[in-house]
Amino acid sequence: MKRLDRLSLGGLACLLVLVVFALGSLAGAGGDPDAIVGPRLRPPGPGWWLGTDNLGRSMLPRVMEGVGTTLLLSSIAVLVTAAVSATFGIIAGYRGGYLNELVMRLVEVLYSFPAIVLAILVAAVLGPGQVAALASIVLATIPLMTRLVRAAAVAVSQRDYVTSAVISGARLPRVLGRHVLPNVAGTIAVQGTYALSVGIAVEGGLSFLGFGVQPPQASLGVLIQRGGTYMIAAPWLILGPGVVLVVAILAINVVGDGLRDQLEPRETRSLT
Amino acid sequence: MRLLMWWSGRALSSAATLLGVSVLIFAAVRLMPGGFAETVLGPFATAEQKAELATRYGLDQPVFMQYGHWLGTVAGGDFGISMISRQPVGAELLARLPVTAELSLLAVAVSVLAGVPLGVLTAVRARPGGGGAAGRLLSGLGVSVPEFVLGSLVVFVFSRYALGLEVGAWVPLTQDPARNLATMVLPAAVLSVFAVSVTARTTRDAVMGVLVEPYVTAAVGRGESPWFIVRHHILRNAAAPVVTLLGTITAYLLGGALIVEHVFNLPGVGSYIVQAVGRRDYAVVQAGVLLAAGVFIVMNVVIDLLVGVLDPRLGVTAGRRS
Amino acid sequence: MRPIRLACGVAAALLATACAATGTTTQPSTGPQAEVEPGYLAVADDALPSGGTLNLQVHIDSGAATGYDPQLADVATTWQLLSLAYETLVTVGPDFSVQPLLAEKWETPSPTEYVFHLREDVSFSNGRKMTADDVVGSFERLLASKSVWRGQLGAVKSVTKDGDHTVKVTLKEPYTPFLAALANVPAAVLPMKEINDKSVDPATTLLGTGPYVVKDHRQDVSWTFKRNEKYWAKGKPAADTLNITIAPEEAARVAALQNGSAALATLGNVDSAGMLAGAGDVKVVTQATTDFYYLMLNTKAPASKFADPKVRQAIAIALDQRQIADIALGGKGEPSAVTPAGLPGACDPAALPSASKGIDDAKRLLAEAGAQNLTFTLSIYSTQPAPAVAQVIQQNLQQAGITVKIEQMDEAGWSGKVYGKAPAEFDAALSWFAGYADPGMVTKWWNPEEAGFNVGFMTPDKELNALIDAAGKEPAGAAREKALAAVCAKADADAQMIPLVTRPATVAFRTDALSPSLYSTEGYGNVLRLVADARVKKSQ
Repeated sequence: MKRLDRLSLGGLACLLVLVVFALGSLAGAGGDPDAIVGPRLRPPGPGWWLGTDNLGRSMLPRVMEGVGTTLLLSSIAVLVTAAVSATFGIIAGYRGGYLNELVMRLVEVLYSFPAIVLAILVAAVLGPGQVAALASIVLATIPLMTRLVRAAAVAVSQRDYVTSAVISGARLPRVLGRHVLPNVAGTIAVQGTYALSVGIAVEGGLSFLGFGVQPPQASLGVLIQRGGTYMIAAPWLILGPGVVLVVAILAINVVGDGLRDQLEPRETRSLT
Repeated sequence: MRLLMWWSGRALSSAATLLGVSVLIFAAVRLMPGGFAETVLGPFATAEQKAELATRYGLDQPVFMQYGHWLGTVAGGDFGISMISRQPVGAELLARLPVTAELSLLAVAVSVLAGVPLGVLTAVRARPGGGGAAGRLLSGLGVSVPEFVLGSLVVFVFSRYALGLEVGAWVPLTQDPARNLATMVLPAAVLSVFAVSVTARTTRDAVMGVLVEPYVTAAVGRGESPWFIVRHHILRNAAAPVVTLLGTITAYLLGGALIVEHVFNLPGVGSYIVQAVGRRDYAVVQAGVLLAAGVFIVMNVVIDLLVGVLDPRLGVTAGRRS
Repeated sequence: MRPIRLACGVAAALLATACAATGTTTQPSTGPQAEVEPGYLAVADDALPSGGTLNLQVHIDSGAATGYDPQLADVATTWQLLSLAYETLVTVGPDFSVQPLLAEKWETPSPTEYVFHLREDVSFSNGRKMTADDVVGSFERLLASKSVWRGQLGAVKSVTKDGDHTVKVTLKEPYTPFLAALANVPAAVLPMKEINDKSVDPATTLLGTGPYVVKDHRQDVSWTFKRNEKYWAKGKPAADTLNITIAPEEAARVAALQNGSAALATLGNVDSAGMLAGAGDVKVVTQATTDFYYLMLNTKAPASKFADPKVRQAIAIALDQRQIADIALGGKGEPSAVTPAGLPGACDPAALPSASKGIDDAKRLLAEAGAQNLTFTLSIYSTQPAPAVAQVIQQNLQQAGITVKIEQMDEAGWSGKVYGKAPAEFDAALSWFAGYADPGMVTKWWNPEEAGFNVGFMTPDKELNALIDAAGKEPAGAAREKALAAVCAKADADAQMIPLVTRPATVAFRTDALSPSLYSTEGYGNVLRLVADARVKKSQ
């Protein structure tokens, strides 16, 4: 496999740093994110290297926890989406017929809702919190990925090696698992990275509207939402989480682009 | 004949989708915990008051009956009565629709006017194998800054430093078009950032795809000027995916508008839905979400039609892509 | 976000600005708010001409299935809007004293008799003169209604008129808060002739004697009020038009203040002064209120964790009201007992039994109750600063080894969980009460049989109820303060609803556009109480 280009490698490195940052939080580095450690709204200084928030909590462990929450939630959600989309997309694409119609109709229904509207409805039904955020991201990312996986599966199932596998008497699970899945994996990987950035944005939007994770847990969306009201009095509250959120989405997108160029190389020419 | 068949199938499947959407909305609204009675009447309400309210809005009926009744009235153009304002939901939606429509149309206009030239330019200038790191980073940044971050920032900076465009002083278009536009520019700009990036990206991909076609090679061979080639060969042939994208963007903008309306305090459909969800104002949530989904579905049928006209080769088999 | 708490209201970008803004960082001020005159945060300048348009922004609209009927209004944000069009017999002064309004004077020939002499020059905004029949009819309608305010009026025996301008109210027993209870919007004088002949439905039309009349209302978007040309007070209201914009998002209200599209706005964030620091023409003031947050411990749920009073007392001891006030409310609130801090005659929260005990006492009580590893869920709504209060509570109780899991919900979900079922299923919940204008009033909600709304989670205590009633009968003075102190101590020991801290109201206005009048303290959550006095400085 060809190596990713430099920009994508840079993005990958950024993501790796963020993951390490988040893992540090689990290991207790930076301190207790919920403890009241000092006076309210203090600028960065010894004892609170990223300042303190409106409850006198140190921002460093909170940002670390926030990165972890957001990345973990989005990653799990995308894995669920990938599993669901792969299953239904491949079956629908390979079998066609009524099954295909049914899956596509369901996907179409979900696709008709703007992601944030779907997220708000889910959060209202399940009650705000991690489960609602997870379900929102999954429901928001399933339609697109299922459609693309299905399209890829349709193309793959007409290939010779699939036909010969069927003729030689391979059972359906084996055909799908051994021959179709590996050939749509690229599509899943590329779409997965995009879904990840959508997930982070959805989590942020939900928190912004007050449907995010439960306090005192920090997520990037929650931190930005709270920090926004302190832009003048305590800019450090929004600076850290804001930069991290944009960097995270940007890095994921760049990696996704690189992956796509890798898997679907395009020819081009110059006019000038 | 095949075309006619295809179109009737398309219409039928759109109707089925809309029906599915209506079931999902209705189920979601009824599954929300938290009583409309406690919310609408307040905690001091007596059991009789709550029962009376339930009867008045037909909420004491079995859920299937309620759904059937709702579907029937909606089909007749009646979206019910808001439990909070006690006014018809349809009239309020109609009053709020222009705000969201104006916001979205402005954003679409910006993304076409800025995104398409940007996409063409970057595609035409690209060297084979060249990364175009700066362009990729820039367009990546465009899709990476969520509206609520950008919106809060813009609201703050523009009001804080009195940069001219007003925030939080919305006036109806019919009352004072100039001032209305002044208050809509910022929200539309915030809303369009993501759309511009996506449009530029899709345009770039489409144009790059066309550039390797034999007729472009032939045109280059004939010594036609680059911009002549762009105008006469490329734009027309690269239009289909870009137009298709507009359908997806519509759905995206309807969702984005919800956040932007909230941030800029614009009385559009999005803020109506958000407030109604928080109060379990069933009729409003149902009508608002159904409208958003309906617009999206209709928009996509129109897009398919347009793509058919633009590029007869793709015709009816054109699938949508993101 | 719509608060559906008890009689209440008030709620609740970046890289480049953050950098640009660091230079102007100011520490949000704490401590008492500067008064310009005793009892006033601001006094309108009479020398300024009247007239003009006043643009206001508030965070939330009124809105209920009961419509605009003042007698059924039970949230302070609704009282605030209705008070522009409706008036009461008496009103509240800057020091919580009862002042004349539609009644120019009154006598109390005995502790159970009140004789009101009505102003003769008062008309409803349709031009019809207000008479004693309107007053009597309004009383009767209120007493026959399902209004929660009936409970605050005490035991009214009869209401009769004596001529066209005198009304006599007889109570079954003495009730000291009676006049204070009359000073709130649900006790407003309604146009009874029009209501009785069905030409006006108060649920859909505002027709009162107040300084303004409604010209337009779009739910959740805006109100437009015009001056009532028939208003009885000469020279009032000063401003011709009030435009009230509903802006749920705090940042949008802050922006509107900064760019001048709003002359006055209510703010939800206790630190908003810091947000507006450096915006030269904007003044931010904090109005103290008698409203206070309280913690509900559900004793009625099956297998309730709080059935043992020792567990509840341990929680009351472990709570650090001072820290909640200083951290969650940025020093703008005050610890309160069941009689709201700040009201004349209220008891001292520092003198409560739970205040004199420490964390070890709390741990001992928990051990005695066999609840060493107590874990419970605290249900809150998302409107700030409730989540901040909850997080400080969580930290407080952790000291005593109690684990609190916070469950943040939207308003509707929260109301459904707390008030939707009897017995209620939640563990603990957080909310706030409006504190009203007499220390005996809000104590009535500690009797669930009287209050009704908390019957699903609170077990009545006969002794406490008797003490509350006794304090209501006692005339103002030292004996009443003693009776109220007994209520406070008993409620503290009962600890099913634990009072926490008062809830400050933050208001900001543009000094170049407006000269408003604002009380330093408020009992009915009405920031717009004196808006008829406000002078507009320039046409906006």
